[in-house]
Amino acid sequence: MKRFPAYDPPEYVDWQPDAELSAEFVDTWYRDPERRSIVEQLNREPKLDLYRGLLRTRLHDITLKRWVRHGIISKAWLGTGEEAATVGPVHALNRRLDIVAPMIRNAGACCEMGMPVADMLRGYLGTYDSPSRGRDGHVGDLDRRVLQPISNIGIMPPVTVGIALGFRLRGEDGIALTWVGDGSMKHGGTHEALGLAVAQHLSVIFIIQNNQIALGTPVTVHHPPGTFESVHQAYGVAGWSFDGNNVLDAYAATKLAVRHCLSEAGPVVLAGETFRMGGHATHDEQEARELIPPELFTHWGARDPIGLYEEYLKGDGVGPHVLERIESEIVQEVEDAEREALSSREASRPAPESALEGVYASYSPSDEGSERVP
Amino acid sequence: MPTITYRDALNQALKEEMERDANVFLMGEEVGVYQGAYKVSRGLLDAFGEDRVVDTPITELGFAGVGIGAAMVGLRPVIEFMTWNFALLAIDQIVNSAAKMLYMSGGQIPIPIVFRGPGGAALQLAAQHSQAFDSWYAHVPGLKVVAPATPYDAKGLLKSAIRDENPVVFLEGEMMYNAKGEVPEGEYTVPLGEADVKLEGSDVTLVCHAKTVTVAQRAAQQLAEECGIAAEIVDLRTIRPLDTDAIIRSVAKTNRCVVVEEGWPFCGIGAQIVDYIQLYAFDHLDAPVLRVTQADVPIPYNKRLEKAAKPSPERVVEAVKQITYLD
Repeated sequence: MKRFPAYDPPEYVDWQPDAELSAEFVDTWYRDPERRSIVEQLNREPKLDLYRGLLRTRLHDITLKRWVRHGIISKAWLGTGEEAATVGPVHALNRRLDIVAPMIRNAGACCEMGMPVADMLRGYLGTYDSPSRGRDGHVGDLDRRVLQPISNIGIMPPVTVGIALGFRLRGEDGIALTWVGDGSMKHGGTHEALGLAVAQHLSVIFIIQNNQIALGTPVTVHHPPGTFESVHQAYGVAGWSFDGNNVLDAYAATKLAVRHCLSEAGPVVLAGETFRMGGHATHDEQEARELIPPELFTHWGARDPIGLYEEYLKGDGVGPHVLERIESEIVQEVEDAEREALSSREASRPAPESALEGVYASYSPSDEGSERVP
Repeated sequence: MPTITYRDALNQALKEEMERDANVFLMGEEVGVYQGAYKVSRGLLDAFGEDRVVDTPITELGFAGVGIGAAMVGLRPVIEFMTWNFALLAIDQIVNSAAKMLYMSGGQIPIPIVFRGPGGAALQLAAQHSQAFDSWYAHVPGLKVVAPATPYDAKGLLKSAIRDENPVVFLEGEMMYNAKGEVPEGEYTVPLGEADVKLEGSDVTLVCHAKTVTVAQRAAQQLAEECGIAAEIVDLRTIRPLDTDAIIRSVAKTNRCVVVEEGWPFCGIGAQIVDYIQLYAFDHLDAPVLRVTQADVPIPYNKRLEKAAKPSPERVVEAVKQITYLD
């Protein structure tokens, strides 16, 4: 894809394919017969859909970064470098039945579940026509089976388990999937959620998305083993790891987890290794570069999930013009979404008195809560 | 009319609501096989099975959140805390998830859920096990807070709480479970947000709720017998929404008021009520409004110390004498 020197990490701007990494990309899932078979059953179109998802997620983040730079918003929490660990798993779900509970860094999950990019951007602008009516920067849409992220990390996993319990009590087949960071993995709520999901044999997929760092504390400081691949054993449940920068491995590992949930009932803990190619949010990008050893950026920068997947697709017989066409479609989609969202900024400012509405049910938002500009 | 305990009244409410609506389920520690630490869920596991009477590990933060998740997808969970003293971790879920989700989602996600269990002091359970957190929860927009004093109210209010579309904090009391009272057979509910005048009187208003209703009743009896003072008892029943009309109506009649509560004095429920009275009934007052609360200390263990720290009929009588200028 086109690189953006003003917004992309420098490692991405200068990204070049590496034959060894490309071979490793395939080998990661190829050497496991089950994952290999899952990938081999994927037709061209779903593979290209994964590509669309990765691009959409990256461009969404780049738009936010540009908005911060231009003073449209004050900060944004991005998933740059971690797109595969978000997009792959969502595509492995039954998006009509299952529910996802993303962290803010998994914004891509919202779009891949069907939320318009414009709604994501409106969320940041806090417009009255944003999904939360301007009450939250996080956005979700239960009609599209996305739980609005609960910003206090560690208390969302129990809620996710509750969604799975709800599925069972109502006789529905859905699976609840949530992501847990290496930081929030240490929260008591996450631990209790795992314990409850196990005790109740619930269909929950926990993805431990190890991006190697909390705000600035490296994973090894709060979790000395450094990886989470054996955490599931502590809970006596199924679990396996995947390469968090390899969208096909993330997809296949999650597909296996879905099968496990459906056939044996009970949670699955997945561990995906990836890396946050920037700050905790846009305001500490520079700090991240000072705190995190440069060799980590070099190592993971070479494993840009989008670059790696493009090389795979080319090797798989997708012509460069197809990739270019898809890219221009997604660029158009995100640009249109940006335009739409920015027009809401003026046209749909929440009326100050709407802040007082809707603390208690029954509440139905109305147009009157929006300050219409004549 | 049958006379039953507060415990059985709650049990009837749970059973009837679970029969009425398949989406209602009970979850908490020891609620199933053991039938509840205070036996409020007696017989429910047998009647409804383990899918609807769910025993959990010791995970208040966890299962409070599980209830919230289940509420999001259409269920009506009743979450039992063995005591509210054990639920301090769960306050994260109650305040951050349950109370805010409807508002923060712009109206998308109501959370119809009841968090219930005993709070406040029992008998010699010491400081960490004797706390009345009524004002903590009442402070939070998005929550309703209910604290019934009698079996009749307990049953009717729990049924209303379960049917409410909002998260409800339902405060019971270990010492109240054995209290007896008349409860009619058949269906009835008590609406949330309506206080009840438990005793009519003309000389002083005693505002109280939950355990302090008994305290006020004893004080009223003593005041009538010893001083010829007719106290009116206003039982709030629901702390939030607060029935301010009932309080103001009574104070306008009696011109004097003492607020009795189990919690600590600082930023307590009584402080809020006094504020309403000075705002809406200032001209009716013939004396300052006084408050009787527990002492501003952690509740001590020794029986004598514990008694001294709790709100008592004697202290209510003393307060009334002070504002009627009898002492």
